[in-house]
Amino acid sequence: MLAYIVRRLLLLIPMAAGMVVVTFGLLLLIPGDPASVLLGQEASAEAINNLRNALGLNDPWYVRLGAYFARLLQGDMGRSIFQNQAVSEIVAGRLGATIELAVVALILACLVGISLGVLAATRQGSIVDTVSMIFAQLGVSMPVYWLGLLLMLLFAVTLGWLPAIGRGAPFPEALWAALTGRPQVLIDSFAHILLPAVALAANSAAIISRLVRTAMLEVLREDFVRTAYAKGLRRQRVILRHAFRNALLPVLSVVGLRFGALLGGAVLTETIFAWPGLGQLTITAISQRDLPLIQGIVLTFAIIFALVNLVVDLLYAVVDPRIRLG
Amino acid sequence: MSKALSITAAFLLAGLSFTALSSAQAATVTIGTDVDAGTLDPRLSRDTTAYRVIDLIYSGLIHTTPSLEAKPDLAESWETPNPTTWIFKLRPNLKFSDGSPLTAADVVFTFSSILNKDFNAPMRALYTPISAVEAVDPQTVKFTLSAPYAPLLSYLDIGIVSKALVEGGTDIALKPVGAGPMKFASWTRGSAIQLEPNPNYWGEKPKVDKVTIKIIGDGSARAQAFEAGDLDIIQSPLAPQDIKRLQADKRFGAVVQPGLGVTYINFNTKDPLLSSPKMRQAFSMLIDQKTIVNDIYQGVDAVASSIVLPSSWAYSKDIKQPGFDVEGAKKLFKEEGWADTNGDGILDKGGKPLSIVLSTHSEDSNRVQTVEFMQANFQAAGVDAKTQISDWPSFSTNYVQKSQHQIALLGWLNIVDPDRLLFAQLTTGGSTNWGGYSNPAVDDLLKQGRSATTQADRTAAYRKAATLLASDLPYYIVSYQGYQLFYSKKLPFEVQATSRGNMRGMIGLKD
Repeated sequence: MLAYIVRRLLLLIPMAAGMVVVTFGLLLLIPGDPASVLLGQEASAEAINNLRNALGLNDPWYVRLGAYFARLLQGDMGRSIFQNQAVSEIVAGRLGATIELAVVALILACLVGISLGVLAATRQGSIVDTVSMIFAQLGVSMPVYWLGLLLMLLFAVTLGWLPAIGRGAPFPEALWAALTGRPQVLIDSFAHILLPAVALAANSAAIISRLVRTAMLEVLREDFVRTAYAKGLRRQRVILRHAFRNALLPVLSVVGLRFGALLGGAVLTETIFAWPGLGQLTITAISQRDLPLIQGIVLTFAIIFALVNLVVDLLYAVVDPRIRLG
Repeated sequence: MSKALSITAAFLLAGLSFTALSSAQAATVTIGTDVDAGTLDPRLSRDTTAYRVIDLIYSGLIHTTPSLEAKPDLAESWETPNPTTWIFKLRPNLKFSDGSPLTAADVVFTFSSILNKDFNAPMRALYTPISAVEAVDPQTVKFTLSAPYAPLLSYLDIGIVSKALVEGGTDIALKPVGAGPMKFASWTRGSAIQLEPNPNYWGEKPKVDKVTIKIIGDGSARAQAFEAGDLDIIQSPLAPQDIKRLQADKRFGAVVQPGLGVTYINFNTKDPLLSSPKMRQAFSMLIDQKTIVNDIYQGVDAVASSIVLPSSWAYSKDIKQPGFDVEGAKKLFKEEGWADTNGDGILDKGGKPLSIVLSTHSEDSNRVQTVEFMQANFQAAGVDAKTQISDWPSFSTNYVQKSQHQIALLGWLNIVDPDRLLFAQLTTGGSTNWGGYSNPAVDDLLKQGRSATTQADRTAAYRKAATLLASDLPYYIVSYQGYQLFYSKKLPFEVQATSRGNMRGMIGLKD
């Protein structure tokens, strides 16, 4: 098991290097010059060229890529062209917000998705089934930015129940505040995350509920379920202990992949809700062609995604004892 | 179930009363903005948020009033013994917000670094006519110019930085220290910038204890946050639909006034199709300004008639570019030899159809709509018009700035002086003359305009130039951009708007 984890972690290195090269290549292909964006419309061609020299953008691509790798090996992701700050500092400052949002959204998506899926499967063809599948259809087809604006319009503007934008205190900090007698800080953080998390979770919840429904329907027809009923076990126990656990496996792999989708969805959600995370930063960095920052963000996203999938693979072994890792 | 509901409701109510409580504290103001500042070093700033926040943290030699007049700020007076010498006298005992003294050495340091090529200051071009800056004594600064340069005064509102701090290694891009009415408190990148009053400010004290500038990229989300009470003030850029809705809302005060920007057509005069003024006139006559302004921009912008802003001293209503006139355009095309000889509905000449590419950038949906609307009008008049839309970096860097365009729709901002929209853009070989326009008569007039010493002489030069440009049309000005500001009527002071969006009027200061 340990050897497996070490091997998977070592595999991260070539994967990360590959990501860097691919991103670098894409950035070479997309037109647009950070020096010109930075200096604005009023800058002369001479001034732009001067800045390109200073930023090393006039060097050949292999020199730039080599220099980037050389710095990366020393743990240096470079400096943002636009923000006058080390990329690692900027990314670290934003990472917490995105992970917080993605985790809360994932929990919401799992809770809602799994409950609806199980409910629909056990009452196949009933009104409950139809309603939850209509919900799933809506969730899959509604774009996150649209849902986000609608939620904001209803709960923040019309009803005024929740703040429209921004983030409260980070959760660990808010939790500590609540424990030391200031519960309003935690309430505030919770109020801020609710709308963006719901908007972000909707799509995943819908996909998970469909998947759980299908998987459950399949498992419920298996012989061992019939055997369980025949043994005289209660329906609830059969569904939760026997059927659900077996239906969980395909769901688990999807949940791992959904986390990637949630990080992607965070790009739009964070922009709508002014959530100060990596997603919002991505949009800004790309629109400014802030090359070192884009590289740093993509690399961070890739590593998180790989780590989450490693965790999912480890969980397989926990859920299904037939799977041996090694 | 009902118990769970009531717990949730209680939870929400608690959150609600908490937010209500915090917004009730009178002396804080929260202002929404569209982008995070890149740097808070005034010498390197380049985005609107940075300009606006810097205007609160720093003071310049002068301060520009909402009516664009120069008012003494750090300098208490100035004189021009001859057209190429400007002498500024600083106020006595000026201090930065950290308590250190502000002297002529700091002023010299600020301008010397801007003028240093390797410092890569975005606004360097505005200051290049300065050939030397010297400190005559700790309270006197002398600027020597290579040629008379009238617009200089409008650009001397740039914030003065502390020489000692910068040379001592303080990163003022992230931890700015200035001598303005507010001082820097904190900055959560991508989220908010917080300021508090500067006890060392020489002038009137701001009427707020705390200013928070909140960054919300999406325009509609920003408007909704304002309506929900999360923000006290929002301003341009805003979508026309949001502007209409906010204007009708009685809870908010509204300022809707002309801005300092134009939306214009950049003709590439080096393109064979567009090198003749007649062709440029014909294409201009196909642009339905009224519909663009009233329907796409919903009346928040105004139909433009010339290259000088109506708010400028140099404006004359007698100078007029051609208006929307399809028949007139067809006549001009005919005079230039374009006719539909093969009956396919597209004008042609020498066997070649009249095809043209209209371009703009994707970030501004109103511009995209304008270009698509123009395309329809062009096609109806027998021009095979195509559109090309790309994002700003590719549109500006790889297209317009490389003179690859034919007809491009874009804009200029911050036109505090007519020179700012004319000299670099339309003199022969000018640094932003992307359309390759060249007319010696215009060159002379624009040089006169920046070097004349009286406003009357400058006005005469700009009016003559504008008259020539209104028929030569290297630029066709589509609209004068409007400026909008909305504020909560609950604020305990009166909000004063400036069309540049500067924020001193949003913290209770006047002019």
